[in-house]
Amino acid sequence: MIAGSLFSYIVVAMLLLSIGLLGVISRKNIFVIYMSIELMLNAINLIFIALGRHHHSMSGHIMAMMVIAIAAAEAAVFLSLIVVLYRRKKSLDSDIFRSLSQKESL
Amino acid sequence: MMDILFLLLASFAIGGALGMVLFHQPVHSALSLILCIIALSGLFALLSASFLFMVQIIVYAGAIITLLIFIIMFLNVKEANLPKEPHKNITLFLGSLGLIPLNILILRAFYKLPSSFVEKNDNFGDIKPLGMELFEHWLLPFELISILLLVALIGAVVFGRKEEA
Repeated sequence: MIAGSLFSYIVVAMLLLSIGLLGVISRKNIFVIYMSIELMLNAINLIFIALGRHHHSMSGHIMAMMVIAIAAAEAAVFLSLIVVLYRRKKSLDSDIFRSLSQKESL
Repeated sequence: MMDILFLLLASFAIGGALGMVLFHQPVHSALSLILCIIALSGLFALLSASFLFMVQIIVYAGAIITLLIFIIMFLNVKEANLPKEPHKNITLFLGSLGLIPLNILILRAFYKLPSSFVEKNDNFGDIKPLGMELFEHWLLPFELISILLLVALIGAVVFGRKEEA
């Protein structure tokens, strides 16, 4: 009766969301940060679909599809940004890209 | 049977996600993210979302992560260009401690909901009811998504262009 209850899906989705948030706040590699954002979007998708199954309505599926489309658009822009940043600074460290920071840039 | 499948898929998803956060090389992270996403698509199938199961595999594992791995290989990052993260384990541990209250809050809110799903034997989650719902109630957001994709396409081309001196 684990697979038929809403709560177990929410637990999995919250664990994935926490791992994604953890990756964003504690890693410095921008590829890993991007993948963590994707993981968080996927966790939200799982919550949408589980709630759609719970309420027996298709709107959750529509929202999940929109999230997938937005993730595809985000992937294109983010990856081309990574290419530009790597071409300029020859590094993947997110601490190096700080020329817009208010602190003095190193 | 469904329970075993659910536990298997959930452990694969969480293990893939943990591997993605913990690995040092970006290629290893991307490969374990693929594992996580395919396990998640299995969870979608358990939730009787058969169309989204296919979309997840085709769009995420087939397009987005493949593009990501392509970019990683295209950049050809050496070990010296990777960021050094000497305090990675400590920050991960402290961050996971800090995220516990958020999880407790949201899980307590969901614990109050009635938990078991309604069982109805219609074609819930198939492509036809999803298309009907999409084009009856969500037509304007659907068209706006196409504009968003066009803008993202143009933006990616503009960013990726070599700047003239």
